[in-house]
Amino acid sequence: MLQALFSHIDYVAVTVLFCAGLYIMIARGNLLKKVIGLNIMETAVFAFIVTTGMIDGGDPPLLEQGLGPDFASPLPHALVLTGIVVAVSVTAVALALIVRVKREHGTIEFDELGEPR
Amino acid sequence: MKRRAYKLLVVALGLALLGGLLWLPPPGQPGGPVHEHVAARYVEGGTEAAGAPNLTTAVLLNYRGLDTFGEVTVIFAALLAALAVLGVGAAARNASGTGKPRVDARLPASPVVNFIIRLMAPFMATFAAFVMIQGDVLPGGGFQGGVVLGAMMILLSVAIGPDRVSGMVAPAPLGWLRAIAPLVFLVVAVSGLALSGAWFGLSDQPALGHALMVVLELAIGMGGAAVITGIYLSLAREVE
Repeated sequence: MLQALFSHIDYVAVTVLFCAGLYIMIARGNLLKKVIGLNIMETAVFAFIVTTGMIDGGDPPLLEQGLGPDFASPLPHALVLTGIVVAVSVTAVALALIVRVKREHGTIEFDELGEPR
Repeated sequence: MKRRAYKLLVVALGLALLGGLLWLPPPGQPGGPVHEHVAARYVEGGTEAAGAPNLTTAVLLNYRGLDTFGEVTVIFAALLAALAVLGVGAAARNASGTGKPRVDARLPASPVVNFIIRLMAPFMATFAAFVMIQGDVLPGGGFQGGVVLGAMMILLSVAIGPDRVSGMVAPAPLGWLRAIAPLVFLVVAVSGLALSGAWFGLSDQPALGHALMVVLELAIGMGGAAVITGIYLSLAREVE
């Protein structure tokens, strides 16, 4: 068990990061902090996916540069690049909505949201 | 009380996650399943098949070009959504004159910050162009270069004001510039259909394939930078 914890130490760190983000998202009432929590969760997922593709002492997947022979898997990199773009898009729309909520309600605290002014 | 329940929930979920993750093969080992199957084929023959020594770019622009087409459409749609939520209302309020008088609520940047930003901006733009154009050979690519360029535009709008940054491009070309990535992807996809009989058929002739790849990277970068700048400006205008 302890052995597994040490060999998977990257995954332990990622899990802690994910849980921290999730806690911020559900426990904080401020909408902006919820978005930040969501971003922390996303970062944890991206770090996890990239970590799976790494090789200890390996090289980035760039051919014709005299690197190798152990290349990191290019597939997680491409997937995470797509994921980051979607995460940025989600964050942008969320921030725009928060600005709109502030304009309509005068607050971005979840508990204080009532009828529109 | 509620906080404690949340904490218990999160810790329980974390332990469950950890339990699952510890069953996976440890990271960093060459023989893991993520390095076999399709990834191994990319490393074996990806450069010949896709025409890019940077295998991540090869996957993005060639093997999964259609995915990337969807991706650039997503960021464009995000800009449209942000403008729909913010822009129309703010424009109407400013036009009718019932809103607050426009005051410059930006923090006054110090002369030192201003000078440094204006000094660094050309170098940042050059680096962004380098990252975009060399994206198929070296680490980098359209999205990375676009983000560098977008960050430069945001810094500039801190230094010289959002109004002067948004005045850099006239409104009509700006609309096309923001939509350039999906449009160029559409053109390249259809041209691939005509040239080599497959969607995104880039690499029948290596020189043409390489040129098309650079065009795609530039389109992603310019479009991404325009979208990021547009989202920032629409948010910044709201704060003023």
